[in-house]
Amino acid sequence: MEGSSSNIKNAWQWAVTGEKVFLSTDYFCPTRDVFQARLDRLLKDFEKRLTIGNLTYLLLAAIGEIGNNSFDHNMGGWRDVPGLYFVTDFQTKEIILADRGRGILETLRRARPEIRDDQKAIDVALTEMVSGRFPEQRGNGLKYVKKIIEDNNLNLKFFSGQAMAEIKQKKFEVLSSKISVPGTVAIINF
Amino acid sequence: MRIELKKFGNILTSRPAGKDAWSSAQAYILSDLNSVENIEVDFSGLAVLSPSWADEFLTPLKSKYTDRVKFLPSDNPTVKATLEIIEKQRQE
Repeated sequence: MEGSSSNIKNAWQWAVTGEKVFLSTDYFCPTRDVFQARLDRLLKDFEKRLTIGNLTYLLLAAIGEIGNNSFDHNMGGWRDVPGLYFVTDFQTKEIILADRGRGILETLRRARPEIRDDQKAIDVALTEMVSGRFPEQRGNGLKYVKKIIEDNNLNLKFFSGQAMAEIKQKKFEVLSSKISVPGTVAIINF
Repeated sequence: MRIELKKFGNILTSRPAGKDAWSSAQAYILSDLNSVENIEVDFSGLAVLSPSWADEFLTPLKSKYTDRVKFLPSDNPTVKATLEIIEKQRQE
């Protein structure tokens, strides 16, 4: 988190510890409606500040998928505070989306009981058509996010449990994480 | 008949919103469709479309009306990427 703004660091700290002192009502979205409203506002902010054309829309699509996933998969199952921490920092060109939900492994367990560890769970979530909302047929959102990040040479770090997926310079790898994230945290550099 | 997606919003990313739009379209738009009429889906004026919304709206639309549904061309990269992934999912 070196070089990140205090808002980004606070989102990370909240995701890891759950301590309410890190929560900010300016960035926390307790419901999907608040998240959608902030996504609408972000589009306007991007249009005002940047001239990156199509990348703006693709970034918003990726953010929309990640953020809505938090609500889709954690309704009734949040660890403590329901909602999503969502910060965009135009100075450091970083976006963070963090929740304290079930996490990827727990989410996929019903659909894919053979998955036993966080690294495998993150890998499957980002590369295979599978959904935690079994028996519903869905589960392409994170594949879409991965494609946007890779095709546009953006960077993504996606944490859940004791694992982290990283896409950097179009290279995708799943690693172990020293810090355990109970729910999920996505950090995009644009 | 032409369905203009911009009438459902500018940023279409969530499943509940897609599901709601599909229910509304069935009640108020598609109810006027005659038995031989085609459906053109117009993506113009849209900022963002993502697979979650599309999966709840375009997938059932295509399943129900099959070849009568035509997606009009769009330069929007989120529309292109979404249609690509939805089509891939349909084939699998």
